[in-house]
Amino acid sequence: MNRSYLQIQSLNLKLGGFSLKNIDLSCEKGEYHVLLGPTGSGKSSLMKCVLGFYRLNGGTVLLDGRDLSNDLPEYRNMGYVPQNYSLFPHLDVEKNIRFGLRARKNGSKRDNSVVDKLCDTLNIQHLRKRRVRYLSGGERQKVALARALAIQPDILLFDEPFSSIDEGAKRNLWMELKEIINEVGITAFHITHNLEEAYTMGERLSVLIRGELLQSGTKKEIFDRPVTESIARYLNYRNIYEGITQKDPEGVKIDLGHFSLHAMEDIPDNKKIKLCVRQQDIKIIKGDSPVKDSLERNLFSGEIVSLFPLPEYCLMNFRIDGSPKRFDFELKFPRYIIERHNLYQGKKIRVAVWEPNIILFKDEEKQK
Amino acid sequence: MNRLFDFIIWGTGALIILAFLSLFAGMFAEMVHGEVISSPNMDEISFAIRLSLVTATIASALALLFSIPVAYLFSRYRFFLKNLFDTLLDLPIVLSPIALGAMLLIFFNTPFGKHLDNLFGPFVFEVKGIILAQFFVIVGLSIRLLKATFDGIDIEFENLARTLGYGKIRVFFHVLLPMAGKGIISAFLLIWGRAIGEFGATVTLAGATTMKTETIPVAIYLSFESADITSALIYITILIITSLAILFFMRSFQDIRL
Repeated sequence: MNRSYLQIQSLNLKLGGFSLKNIDLSCEKGEYHVLLGPTGSGKSSLMKCVLGFYRLNGGTVLLDGRDLSNDLPEYRNMGYVPQNYSLFPHLDVEKNIRFGLRARKNGSKRDNSVVDKLCDTLNIQHLRKRRVRYLSGGERQKVALARALAIQPDILLFDEPFSSIDEGAKRNLWMELKEIINEVGITAFHITHNLEEAYTMGERLSVLIRGELLQSGTKKEIFDRPVTESIARYLNYRNIYEGITQKDPEGVKIDLGHFSLHAMEDIPDNKKIKLCVRQQDIKIIKGDSPVKDSLERNLFSGEIVSLFPLPEYCLMNFRIDGSPKRFDFELKFPRYIIERHNLYQGKKIRVAVWEPNIILFKDEEKQK
Repeated sequence: MNRLFDFIIWGTGALIILAFLSLFAGMFAEMVHGEVISSPNMDEISFAIRLSLVTATIASALALLFSIPVAYLFSRYRFFLKNLFDTLLDLPIVLSPIALGAMLLIFFNTPFGKHLDNLFGPFVFEVKGIILAQFFVIVGLSIRLLKATFDGIDIEFENLARTLGYGKIRVFFHVLLPMAGKGIISAFLLIWGRAIGEFGATVTLAGATTMKTETIPVAIYLSFESADITSALIYITILIITSLAILFFMRSFQDIRL
């Protein structure tokens, strides 16, 4: 039987008016797992359960098959990098790194080599005698990471580690941290609300919303196939509709009122269903060019209601001919598309949706 | 209107500073021109200073010893009737010291108080009574100051130390106390200064016996009572210098970063 390294099984926690409900999550050995969720979704509380700071109302936390549910935090051997790093201000960098080693009775010579190796790996040898208040955000993060790694933990837990770092510096640090973790070869569990950070860092992701773990999977599964409307909304996906299914020889037609979409799914007839078409999955069709069959069934003529060119991409609102709504689709595409198709407000164009790109939320209940 | 506003705040500031300076000037004038009725009794002055220093230091150390765990408890834990107990501990800060001294005096008349009196030796009209009175006057303030210090230390530091293998006691000594060091020293200085100047509770519980329970404030009271202005001025000067030294030290200490 394939046993996961970190296993959270049917975890329940009540904290005043908030609760974590029946959380099941698993993380393989050596995996970089990101727990994604909006602020207040319970990510930090779940991490504190794993670390042992909350007494569970139900469920278990297993690490490498060992039940840790009743172990105190000091006996769990988990490396923790908190949101603001919490470097001890009364100690210099080296003493911060050694702090965890001091808790263990044996050591000294071996400790020195551990600290040396970590300082080399993280490229912080030159900071060893510096007071922590003189460190930059990135340096603080590395020292906090070194301190967590010094105890040679079984797993590393990151609580929003980039939240106090400038936007501009974040992206480089994402790559750097990922490389370090790969080099060390440790299992990492990272929580964040930042979608780009989750996509860049995570090999597998889990999505926690309002205390419920709604989906776990590869980043492709989460970002391409969110299983619930709330995940899609959290991922900033627009074009979410509700309609009635009509069986079709080539899949299913979903009647959305003033227009319909065809999808390649086997769904019973006359069923109420929600669906989503990501902004980036709607294609602009050039002039009167012919389109493929898979696009033909979801081809719409209409006009551009508005165009919003942003620094990295462009947003466009499109209204289908005869639609009573202000607009029916929001599209997102690279800025060069504006020139290529000579797009402007009020222009009549055609757009199409490739059938496999239609995301159907078959069940709003918890799915993994 | 802006000018009026500026006038009010500058005027009030100048007025209050002038009022304080007048007090000092009055004292200085009395020192220079005042008629010396009798030569000060240096033994008595030296006794009062020593007694004040010893009792205030012991009372402050005891208050700190008790208030560190209590302040930590109130800062970190939630428990039944916490607000009520918190308010109760604040009482000595606002209660008149004479009332507090009277309460202590009444307490030592109860069977339990008498039992304590037998167990630890007499408190009423004794030096131990001075320490006890000072302790009760300053302990509330000490708890309040230390709680503010502990509240200012993010609990995440303690959590983090736990994940690094430290139990609660080791976290307390290796993380919390070093980080609260500045706050603890500041609290000690403030309560020590408060204890040195304590009069109401002390005089009620320990009395005002010359060369026995005569702390500096009691000595000022006794000097005035016997119209010995010279001695009173010496005691007042000592108190002012001590207080100013504490306040200046606190100011500069706050600027020093650990």
